[in-house]
Amino acid sequence: MNLLPFFQWCEATAIGAYIRQSTTIFPVIEVFHLFGLTVLLGTLTIIDLRILGIGMRRQSIPKIVSSLGPLTVWAGIITIVTGILLFLSEALKCYDNQAFPWKMWLALAGILLYLLFQRRMTKGAQVSSAQMKIVAVLSLVFWYGVALAGRAIAFI
Amino acid sequence: MSIESICQAIQESNIGMGLRESPVLWPCIEATHVLSLALSVGTIAIVDLRLIGVLMKDEPVTDIIEQTQPWTFTGFGLAFISGALLFWSEAFRVYPSWSFRMKMACIPLLGLNALFFHKTIYKSVDKWNRSPVIPMRARMAGWFGLIFWAVVIFCGRWTAYNLQ
Repeated sequence: MNLLPFFQWCEATAIGAYIRQSTTIFPVIEVFHLFGLTVLLGTLTIIDLRILGIGMRRQSIPKIVSSLGPLTVWAGIITIVTGILLFLSEALKCYDNQAFPWKMWLALAGILLYLLFQRRMTKGAQVSSAQMKIVAVLSLVFWYGVALAGRAIAFI
Repeated sequence: MSIESICQAIQESNIGMGLRESPVLWPCIEATHVLSLALSVGTIAIVDLRLIGVLMKDEPVTDIIEQTQPWTFTGFGLAFISGALLFWSEAFRVYPSWSFRMKMACIPLLGLNALFFHKTIYKSVDKWNRSPVIPMRARMAGWFGLIFWAVVIFCGRWTAYNLQ
């Protein structure tokens, strides 16, 4: 399947063109992308480390997940929305970039891991099972991989 | 010797040049800077959000502060070291940037905010540790931290766009 027409269509959208022609809008959106990312990674790190038994051990796992989870989701939404806007403005640059598909697959894996497994597994869990720990390690790998691949887009 | 010429000397030192011209090292340091930033500011945000009464209101303030602190310090340490190396490689280039200067001014202010918080109102934490609404001065420290760390991130990212 050739995705080039899709990327070309994205690049040609009015929003994409609007962001591209302005010198200030792109950095402003990018700043919010970075805010979202900071909170997303910060809260996920705390959740994953708690499951691994490394941090915040005085609070139970469900407590940590229910307190930080909403913040993680909101930060995720901000990151994704701003990310789509940034993408629209430079879709063809992303198409040619080797780091970009890595970032997308890792992000997808991270989102699915959180929504399908981590949220369900941690509900009412008093001790962390081996499966939960594996998921926590995967979550850290996926999300820090997303950030790493994202940063790499600028250099590759 | 002006600050400008000091910056120029730093940037043109062997290490500065080596960092700048390495195709692998520079992106790696930059990536470390971003990841450690997420770790430190992300954990700071959790504490600040507890202080202003948004997050984990039923948990003791001390629990949150004591347990996130190692991660905040680790993240900050890494961000500081990687940031110093990045500065080394382009001191003269970023020195004239207003956003870079603002970022450098905000970081010590945030340090003072944290220090002031720990030396004053936090001493009486036992009285308000478990209450969802905490003293005004502690809430102010939380707001100050959230706002000024946001300014730091904003200015840091913006610096890439206002270089000559």
